[in-house]
Amino acid sequence: MDAADREIFKASLLHAVRGHTGSALDAALDDLGWHEALTLDAETAVSLLFEVQGTASASSSAIGEVLRFALGLDGHHKSDVVLPAFGRWETPGKIVDGSLSVRGLGIVSMGDRPRTLIAATVNDMVAVLDVMAADLVLRHVGGVDPRLGLVQVVGDGVPFNVLTELEPTGWSTAVGVSQLALGHELVGAARTMLELARQHALARIQFGKPISAFQSIRHRLADTLVGIETAESMLRAAWVDQSPVTAGMAKALAGRGARAAARHCQQVLAGIGFTTEHSFHHYVRRVFVLDQLFGTASALTGELGNQLLSSRQLMAMPPL
Amino acid sequence: MELDEYRASLDDWLERNTHVLTPDHDGIGTLDDQMAQLSKVKRLAFEAGWMRWGWPERVGGLGGSILLRAYLGEALTSRDLVEPGIYSMTEVLAPTMIDYAPLDLAASMVPKLLSGEETWCQGFSEPATGSNLAALSCRATRDGDVWRISGQKVWTSLAQYADRCVLLTRTGSSESAHTGITALFVDMGSPGITVRPIETMHGVPEFSEVFFDDVAVPLDRTLGEEGQGWSVAMDLLPFERSTALWHRVAYLHRRLQSLLDVAPAHLLDSVALGEVTQLLYALRARSRATQYRVAAGEKLGPETSIDKVLVASAEQAVFDLVGAGLGEEVIMGDDPSSDRWRREYLYSRAATIYGGTAEIQRNIIARRLLDLGSDR
Repeated sequence: MDAADREIFKASLLHAVRGHTGSALDAALDDLGWHEALTLDAETAVSLLFEVQGTASASSSAIGEVLRFALGLDGHHKSDVVLPAFGRWETPGKIVDGSLSVRGLGIVSMGDRPRTLIAATVNDMVAVLDVMAADLVLRHVGGVDPRLGLVQVVGDGVPFNVLTELEPTGWSTAVGVSQLALGHELVGAARTMLELARQHALARIQFGKPISAFQSIRHRLADTLVGIETAESMLRAAWVDQSPVTAGMAKALAGRGARAAARHCQQVLAGIGFTTEHSFHHYVRRVFVLDQLFGTASALTGELGNQLLSSRQLMAMPPL
Repeated sequence: MELDEYRASLDDWLERNTHVLTPDHDGIGTLDDQMAQLSKVKRLAFEAGWMRWGWPERVGGLGGSILLRAYLGEALTSRDLVEPGIYSMTEVLAPTMIDYAPLDLAASMVPKLLSGEETWCQGFSEPATGSNLAALSCRATRDGDVWRISGQKVWTSLAQYADRCVLLTRTGSSESAHTGITALFVDMGSPGITVRPIETMHGVPEFSEVFFDDVAVPLDRTLGEEGQGWSVAMDLLPFERSTALWHRVAYLHRRLQSLLDVAPAHLLDSVALGEVTQLLYALRARSRATQYRVAAGEKLGPETSIDKVLVASAEQAVFDLVGAGLGEEVIMGDDPSSDRWRREYLYSRAATIYGGTAEIQRNIIARRLLDLGSDR
């Protein structure tokens, strides 16, 4: 996509996420040709959609679509795709002695279609399975962020057909692409939180001046921007690099940056940001959940540290 | 020359000349050792042409993208051939001369800096003027065809080695703030200049107090126009946060790897290690984008304050990890390797202070990037 097409596409996506959420947003994305864009230029389609989706705190099934695409299963449009369990990045399915157990999540569309795709670990391999949705127990989650449309997926001794076996790195690559999508969504949410706090700081007068004049406020907001731009830089580099390790680093930086944004901006918004009369709380809730999907910032960071402690070798840095 | 070709040929040259380029001293060396090493490496790299690429032909360069300079600095610092802080001063001072000095002055002086023949310093801060640079008071008064300078500078890095100084002076009224500042190019051998080195916490007389007592500087040594000194300073500072910073990231990566090579596992916290690594890679990615913006002719501005906040955080985080992982060496070791870790650890404490404090960077971000208005 060239720069002009990109701008037009971004404007359409922005329009879609502002006017729709949930299954209505799924339909709007279909109309916009987002799925085609995903296959043609994944970086552009994923980074644009997820950033604006985060910006608007809208919700869609797109993360499942990203996982499907990254697993190379574009042909199976009529199935939902199960995401890893809360806080995890291992496959949601596990086959032991021929018996499939499932611990996973879905967003928005989960259970709407009769068939479900589940990546499952069998010994040291990963296979993608075809499972009837009716054989799984689905729980629509209210929880901290009822507007997200999160669904918990559980199953034991679930009947399955093996669709395909993945290459050894297939699952970690797919996890990486999904983490990048969530990283962009976290960055989008953090940008909106920063903007809400910024506007409040300029408008709120105390001691005869806007609170934006106070250095403690200014520095909190400056740190918020630093965190956001740090994550953004790493996300961009991870798309170029294509390595699941750098994608995990980007997701961790985005999660940490967005959690810090929530903390700083909540403090700046103070009383009004603590009410449901202000939109801020939607972002606090969303970021809390998104940080968990495909691994929290702290879990991914600890995992990276452990890998480095065992390999004793830093990865090569992106070349100039 | 294109970057890929430059990279391959330079790597090859460095490989073939390891024996002459490697420092003679053990460990980190004294500042004298480091300065001698810096001059040697710059001279050899200049003679072989590497140090000339990326600089304009009118100042003795061979032309080509600024990316070539970024790569040279990366290659030298990541091989431990030069100390990144003192190497990077060239990247800050030479562009100022190229942009603001009269053509013939730039043409005659810049090659001396690039080739390691001369050392230059940067006279900005004063005892009463740290973060608030616009309040500087070192006075320059016109007297016929010279400026006469009286006043004092401090934190002037390498002043005791310097042949020249890019000096900010007050030429307007004492209330003229940033409009009454003029930049001059001063010979450090001029009568009336006294340099008193200051020893830092990490045991190096890296910077000095510099006293000016009625020092005469020819008018044709004015950089830019009279009263334009603030622009000179503002254009120089982003270079501290672009190419110079890129070199520093390469150095930090090397030192983090050195830490991983030797630190016992039980002394390294895996989350802290993971976090430092993420920060360093994100910084590298951001700094890379900054290099490409410069290469494309974009003028750097307040967004480089984000790069600067990041590098300061990353440097302290790397050496906090050193303090934990090699605590015994840092605290008790008397061998050259421990001495180096200790000095680097102590030096990292200054990362949030020099080149504009962490607070000043956040003020810039708040005002210029977040548009939060005045802080008064």
